[in-house]
Amino acid sequence: MFAGLTQILLEQLPLGICVVDRQFKIEVWNYFFADRTAKPAAEVIGQDLLQLFPNQAALLRKKINAVFLLQNASFSSWEHQPHPFEFSSSRPITGEETLMFQDLQFLPVEHDGVIVSVCLVLQDVTALASYIQAERSLKAELEAEHSALTVLNQKLEAAQNQLLQSEKMAAIGQLAAGVAHEINNPIGFISSNLQSLQDYSNKLLQLTDFYEKVVQKIASDKLYQVQRQKWQQLQYEFIKADLPELLNETCEGVERVAAIVRNLKSFSHVDDSEWQYANLITGLENTIKIANNQLKYKVQLHRDFPGNLPEVYCQPMQLNQVFLNLLVNAAQAIEEQGDVYLSATADDNELRLAFRDTGCGIAPENLKRLFEPFFTTKPVGSGTGLGLSLSWSIVQKHHGRIEVSSTVGVGTTFTVILPVRTTTEPAV
Amino acid sequence: MNNLLSSDQRDALQELMNIAMGQAANAMAQLIEVRIILSIPKITAVTPEQLSGVLAEPAVWLTRQSFSGALRGEVLSLQVKAGVEAIAGYLDFGLPLTDKSTEAAVLEVANVLAAACLQGFTSQLELPTRLAAPELYRPKASTVDAAWAITLLMEVEFTLTDTPFDARVVICLDPESVQHLISRLNTMLED
Repeated sequence: MFAGLTQILLEQLPLGICVVDRQFKIEVWNYFFADRTAKPAAEVIGQDLLQLFPNQAALLRKKINAVFLLQNASFSSWEHQPHPFEFSSSRPITGEETLMFQDLQFLPVEHDGVIVSVCLVLQDVTALASYIQAERSLKAELEAEHSALTVLNQKLEAAQNQLLQSEKMAAIGQLAAGVAHEINNPIGFISSNLQSLQDYSNKLLQLTDFYEKVVQKIASDKLYQVQRQKWQQLQYEFIKADLPELLNETCEGVERVAAIVRNLKSFSHVDDSEWQYANLITGLENTIKIANNQLKYKVQLHRDFPGNLPEVYCQPMQLNQVFLNLLVNAAQAIEEQGDVYLSATADDNELRLAFRDTGCGIAPENLKRLFEPFFTTKPVGSGTGLGLSLSWSIVQKHHGRIEVSSTVGVGTTFTVILPVRTTTEPAV
Repeated sequence: MNNLLSSDQRDALQELMNIAMGQAANAMAQLIEVRIILSIPKITAVTPEQLSGVLAEPAVWLTRQSFSGALRGEVLSLQVKAGVEAIAGYLDFGLPLTDKSTEAAVLEVANVLAAACLQGFTSQLELPTRLAAPELYRPKASTVDAAWAITLLMEVEFTLTDTPFDARVVICLDPESVQHLISRLNTMLED
């Protein structure tokens, strides 16, 4: 009964089973092998397995010898040996694969404690292998998509930041325009009143001088003493010296407020000067002359301008404003003595003007806030924080951009990049 | 030996292991026709943390292979990556190895070493076991997350003269098998 069951199992199991002796002579050959090789058991029993499969002989010999020597099983996995026997796929109709994927086990067969044969068990793992391979290619695809998405996400984030920056600038621009308008009128009359005040105070001081002389002429000691007492009581000498100074400082202060207001106005509507084709180098040279008193004592200027630069359709006065800001910034970044290198390059599309200084450099955390209105690292009174944001806005209206690179302690390069052929209207 | 084995038991096991490894060396010499040098087996009791420490080696291929029968456990192998080619040639692998054939060679070497060690060891004890197929082991966590607290670990190092080949085979028994082994050792000591 059991012998019969074993025989049935041997023939029915979905496994290839083949037993060979020490000389590789086949002792058992089940239906699976008979079916796949088209060689019935009767034909192969007693034959040399290695001669039957010359292509696989090396592998089979090695594995079977290992079992006899080590008295333990040896194995072959589909991952490393996909098709030890060249059997066609078990899925000839719907399968994508052409050959059967196989796992092999070489099991020791003992008799009285001695290994007499090796049982080769072949398992058809085509379905599993296809599944795992599909899984792997899916994983690779997913990973590729994931990394593409990551790149996209970064781009999106950059775009969002840029948008945020633009919106912030626009909002501040509107605010600035409103504030500028509101401040402009009072500043106007304060300024003109101050000038009148200066004039009047000069006249009043002249008058007191005149009175003093009159008192001396009268030569009345008593009167003179009374006058001296009053002066001392009111600290007239001090007032006489301090008043013109106070008024001068106040005028300067008002002038500074007026300058800020002018900047704010230009920041909010950079539209008043005329669009024309212009040579930017000419503009830059003119600007250098204006900035000269900030540059001449500490900055050595180096110019590298090729002769054949194209003219650019632009608002020259506005761009000069940009150049002035960049030159003054470069000078202010240099503490004692330094160099500023100006260079221009152009191709068919773009003209690039670089302003490189050997100044103190910009800390990385400040780089991204550089173009924000009112952002400044300069000491109070030296900068309004509007220069670069104004420049940014002007260059943007020219469809251009400003690039910055900086190393703390080494220096900074600002590059203004403008399109050579602007066929469209200026950006709004 | 911590408190798993008495000194008598330990000596007996060490003696058994020495004989077993001599047999393993012979079997391998016949199979791959080159003299492999084996270290003296080291027997220790380890906790999961200590085992993780043993496995935490950089630049090695790690394999695991379970065995069952009269004793149960796993055989782990650590093969220095740079040394795989040196032995793969003796195992009829085409050189230089590709990524795939490197893996195949590592598993082949693991099976040969594990079978040789385990066979020698279990036949001396007369506790027959069977090895399952080896697989590459890539531990996910830095510590082995184990259901056991302490176990017995037998470690042998294999080298090949004048080559960078260097492999360590670690036989780990499950706690139940440790008890089985101890009672077997006691029986042998009484005889």
